Order: sequence, then C-alpha cells, then structure tokens
Amino acid sequence: MARVDLQNVTKDWGTAVAVDDISLDLKDGEFVAVLGPSGCGKSTTLFMLAGIYAPSSGDIRFDGARVNDVEARDRNVGIVFQSYALYPNMTVLQNILFPLRFQKVPRTDAEREAREIARLVQIENLLDRRPGQLSGGQQQRVALARALVKKPNLLLLDEPLSNLDATLRLSMRAEIRRIQRELGVTTILVTHDQIEATTMADRIICMNAGRVEQIGTPTDLYRAPETTFVAAFIGSPPINLIDARLAGDTLEIGDKRLRATGAGTEHGGPVKLGLRPEHIREAATGLAATITASEPMGRETLYTADTPIGSLHFLEATSMPRLAPGAKLSLTFDGADSLVFDAATTRLMHGVCAHV
Amino acid sequence: MTAIDWNRLATRARRGRRVRSALLLAFLTLVSLPVILPFFWVVVISVSARTGGVEAAVLWKACAVLVPCVLAYAGVHTFIASVRARIIAGLLLGGLCLIGLYVLIGADLHLNNYRFLVNPNLIEDIRGAATIGGQFPWVWEAFGNSLLVALTSMTLKVIVATLAGYYLSRFAFRGRSFFLQSLLLLEVFHPWMLTIPIFLVIFWVGLLNTLSGPILVLTVIDLPFYIFIMKGFFDAVPWDIEMSAMTDGATRRQAFRHVVLPQVRGGIIAISVLGFIKGWEEYVFVTALRTGNSYWVMSTYLYYVAEDVMGVDYGLVAAVSVFYMLPSLLLYLFLQKYLTQLTLGGVKG
Ligand SMILES: Nc1ncnc2c1ncn2[C@@H]1O[C@H](COP(=O)(O)OP(=O)(O)OP(=O)(O)O)[C@@H](O)[C@H]1O
Ligand SMILES: [Mg+2]
Repeated sequence: MARVDLQNVTKDWGTAVAVDDISLDLKDGEFVAVLGPSGCGKSTTLFMLAGIYAPSSGDIRFDGARVNDVEARDRNVGIVFQSYALYPNMTVLQNILFPLRFQKVPRTDAEREAREIARLVQIENLLDRRPGQLSGGQQQRVALARALVKKPNLLLLDEPLSNLDATLRLSMRAEIRRIQRELGVTTILVTHDQIEATTMADRIICMNAGRVEQIGTPTDLYRAPETTFVAAFIGSPPINLIDARLAGDTLEIGDKRLRATGAGTEHGGPVKLGLRPEHIREAATGLAATITASEPMGRETLYTADTPIGSLHFLEATSMPRLAPGAKLSLTFDGADSLVFDAATTRLMHGVCAHV
Repeated sequence: MTAIDWNRLATRARRGRRVRSALLLAFLTLVSLPVILPFFWVVVISVSARTGGVEAAVLWKACAVLVPCVLAYAGVHTFIASVRARIIAGLLLGGLCLIGLYVLIGADLHLNNYRFLVNPNLIEDIRGAATIGGQFPWVWEAFGNSLLVALTSMTLKVIVATLAGYYLSRFAFRGRSFFLQSLLLLEVFHPWMLTIPIFLVIFWVGLLNTLSGPILVLTVIDLPFYIFIMKGFFDAVPWDIEMSAMTDGATRRQAFRHVVLPQVRGGIIAISVLGFIKGWEEYVFVTALRTGNSYWVMSTYLYYVAEDVMGVDYGLVAAVSVFYMLPSLLLYLFLQKYLTQLTLGGVKG
C-alpha cells in the first residue's frame, strides 16, 4: 500500500557505522527480502523505516513524501522484532488487540479481527496465555499476528520464522506470502535463510557491512552476482572461487591454462573464477580429477575433488554416493555458466567466460 | 555386575534430606531467637504488666508452653511427609498451646494497658491537671499525623523516583553519568550530618513547626537511593517492547503506562513499602524541625510516654510500642515478596 524510497541513507553512532549510504526503491505491494551476514545493518535499516531510529543522513520517502520526521506511531508500519517484543503483562489476545486500541476500532470489531488473524497464524487456542507461557515459535506467530492486525502500509519482518520447525516454516512462508498478496502490503523480510529469500521474495537485497551489494530478482543474484560476496552468499552449497590470472584469451590457474572469451579479456590481471557446484559435471574429457570426499545431501551428493585448478566441489543428482574417495574422472563445465570477477574490485566482469 | 539396591539408596537420600532440613530449621531458630524474643517480650508485657512492675514470670510461663509446642511442630515438619498430617498436627499443637497458655497465664492477661487507645485524656487521668492545655494529645492524633507524613513522603518519593529512574534509564543526555555519580555521592553523607543546614533552610522557607517540613526532608534524603533502585528496574525492561508499542500507535507516555510501568510493579511496591516504613518510623527530623509541641507523631508520642510522662509504667510503654510497630510489621509481612526482589536487583524469577 505504499511505495518506499531510501535515498543515500546512513546511520552511525559516532564512529560505528551501521548503515552506509544505501539507496533502495520498493514498488507498491512488493515483497523484498534482505539477506546478509550478522551485523550488516539489516535490523538498523528496518528500525529506520519504522521510525525507531532517525537516519544520520539521507531521506526516507513513503509514496514520494519525506517521512524522516514522522513519528513511529503515525507511520502505520507493522514490525515483527527479532526478539518478538511481546508485551509480557498482557495475554496473547490483548497483545494482538493493542495496536487496534490506538486505531479507535470498536471493541467488538477489534476482537473479531484479532481472532481472525490468530486463526490465520494458528494460535487461536493460545489467546488467554501470557507470552511467558509460549514456546519460541508460538511467540513469533503472536508477533506476526500483532503486526498484521493493524493492516499496515509497510510490513517489516525481522527473521520472523527463525524459530519454527521445518514443516511449520514451510506453511508459514506460504501463509505470509498469501496474506501479503491479499493485503497488497509492501513487505520487507530480513532473513538468514537464502531459500526463504529466494522462494518468497520478488526481489532480494543483499547487504554486507552496512552497504548494499546487489538488488535484484532471485534469478539475477544467482545467475549474475555483481560481486564475489553475493556469489558466495547466494547458492547452496557455496560457489567455488578460484584465484586466477587473466592474460589475453587465456586464464592461468597455476600451471593450468583455460581459454577465456568475451569483451574485456584484453585487460588482464588477477581475477577470481566462480564455478557453482551444480554446474560442474563428469565428462569424457576435461579436467583430470581425483575424488577426495563425498557427502550425501539427500537428493544429491556433494563431492570434493582435486583438479589441476585446485580443489573443487561439485554436485551430482544421485542420492547414493557413486564415487568413492580415490576414484579418478574428468570434469567439465559450460563456459556460459562460469563467472569471472575482477580480483581487485571483486566485481563481476560481464560477458567474460572461461572454457575447459 | 552386582544388583543395585535402589530402595536402600532412596531411603538413605530421604533420611539425608530430613536431617538437613532439621539442622537448617534448628539453625534458623537459634539465629532468630535474639530477634524474636524482645518482640515477644514487649507483647507479653503489654498484655500482662500492671501499674508499677513487670512480671518476668509471665514470660517464662509463656515460653514454657510455646517452646515445647514449637519444637514439637519442628519435629512433625521434619519427620512427617504428608501435608495433611502436618496440618492436623499443627492445629492440634496450636490448640494445646492455647489451652496451656490459658491455664498458666490466662489470669494474668488484661487489656488495661491499651486504654490509651480509647481515652483521649490519658495523661490528665494519670497526672491530674498538670498537662491540661492540650499539650499531650490523644494517640489517634499522633497516629493520623504519622500516617500523613508516611503516606505523603512515600507518594512523593515513588512518583519522583519512578519518573527520574525511567528518564535516567532510557535517555542519553549531556551530564548523565555525572548526574548518576553525584546521586551516589549524596549517599555518602548521613542525613543527620545535615540537620543544622536543613533546619535553617526549613526555617527560612517558613515551614518550621509544620508537617510539610519533615515530609519534604524525608522525601529528599531518600530520593537518590530510590532513583537508583528504580533505574535498575527500568534497565531490566527490554527496550524493544517500548519501541514496539510506539510503532503500534502509542505515544511515549502511553507506551510507558501500558507496557513499561507494569513491568516495574515489583520495584514500585518495594520502594513504597520502604518509603512508608521510613516515614512511619522517623524520629530525628520530626523532632529537629519543631520548636515546641506544634505537632505530634507516633515516634514523639512513644518517646514522651516512655521518658517524660510516667517513666515507670512499662505496661503502657509496651502497649504503645506494640501499637506503633503493628502497621510496619503488617506491611512487611504481606509485601516481603517484593522487598526480597530488591536484593536481586530487580531481576524477576
Ligand atoms: N545502538 C547502537 N549503538 C552502536 N552500534 C550499534 C547500535 N545498534 C546496532 N549497532 C551496530 O550496528 C551494526 C548493525 O547492527 P544490526 O542490528 O542492524 O545488524 P543485523 O544485520 O540486524 O544483524 P543480525 O543478523 O545479527 O540481527 C552492528 O555492527 C551493531 O554492532
Ligand atoms: Mg538483526
């Protein structure tokens, strides 16, 4: 229900810079996920949007209007805190009713809405308990209900599913997405779980050390990560990053030489070659490899192999490990799947490919 | 592998637990004896002494009944596990105790020493017309004044300490740490050291010989400590609960009232009890800040009953003492749960 803009927003406490000059542009009703390591400023960004922190510099706009100086209570933002922040002195029902109290919703309507939301997040049998008597997952769902009940313009979720078991998490993901579409509310979801981010979000914001590394669709981030950080952060098991040297149309890795194509190769210099484990496969000819380890991962098997370009992880879609450590084989990959990053700037060199 | 005799181990563990709890009980009894005995004696004197003398015999007779009963109950508590049996035994012993007391000292008991409660002219009755002119008041007047002093200073202290504690806990402002340090520094000076300056200040503002004097002074000298206690309680309330309330549409004040304040209830009750008892017991400043007998409170009343008026009537003095300590004692008994929280620094169990 709101378009959200951040323009060059910075937040620091003296020398500690939590958020460093970030700019975002969220469309009305969009669902974005914020991914990033611990301490990279995700919560701080949410708090600035909610009006809890004032940005040190930069502008925050809702529907084009600057809201930097608008009080938290007037922003109609629903937020699920990382710590849930339930009111310990109130029952679950009172917790959910609390935001409606200030919206002057008549008591009977408020109660009906609260019960409806409670049913949606499956806590209707807990309404008379106090937060102290709930499990972590139940508390999370109460927090979610409390954030949703006020029909917010902007919904901020700070790791709202981290304490749920796998099945409940799956159904809550779908449920949150469904509610979000239904209400059409612009939503920002902070998560550590990239599967959660890629399955739920229209776009993903990848943050590192207070800066935005990349904003894009899940496919963008996977197919064309702008930096080595994004490449390493997105994808599981993680990408193989190999130190190399670009010299004309060859890529030197130790004594091994690979063919390089694409514009910009003439540049030369140190680079990093990125190869995703799922893009490496066995072939009749290619890199001579010796298996050193195998890990069954359910549907697939992850192998580690020694090759002339270093130790590589690769995936095979067999549930039973087929190759024992010591087995010898040849590995190959498609040039189009390879990623080459400038080692100095860590940025992707678009169009540059490596070939076996 | 030898079979383990679980029954024997269980019996041994049970016996160990009993012995430990019996020892603990004995230790606590010994420690509390010097505290309890004087109180008990005062009560006994107040209901048994006749004009002129104190009968120690009544005390010993009462002890002769009570001590065996208490010991017997301790034994019951140690060796009988069933709660129902314990209650029945307790009731039986209590009955026995009452019968024993009635037989041994029943004839010595009387309520004559408490006549000060109903007789407004106690002193005139004892001393004749010497004190006529309203010098020495009825006890209820002193009681009312003490209540006024205690309740007013308690209310002021609680309100100021709560607001100040919240502010110190939540807001960063210039000079905050200096302020906290000076609060602690104030605790270094015993308020009695300041009696003369305080007297002068109260004199200059024209509150000498009014109850407002001691009320203000009592409020002010306790505040630093109470502010610290309340700050501790507020520090224990998570910050994001308050922020959550504010994103839910509450103003800062509403968030404080609906979300933060309920979390520090224990602290408020604790400082209320402490503050009340402090005002109720106050003697130094109520005497220092009056130049005549412009007002009477319970402590000055007791002092004059004991010292000035009749010196030797221990029965009356004891009765006034019992009456005087009753409110503090009741408060303490019913609210001790909150007072023990204080020593835990406001951490909730
Ligand atoms: N009040 C504060 N004063 C000083 N530094 C702060 C404050 N709040 C946060 N920081 C710092 O700002 C940085 C970002 O914190 P933030 O809470 O936004 O991280 P996060 O991305 O949410 O991490 P996590 O995934 O662990 O929750 C951290 O380095 C943190 O130490
Ligand atoms: Mg966080």
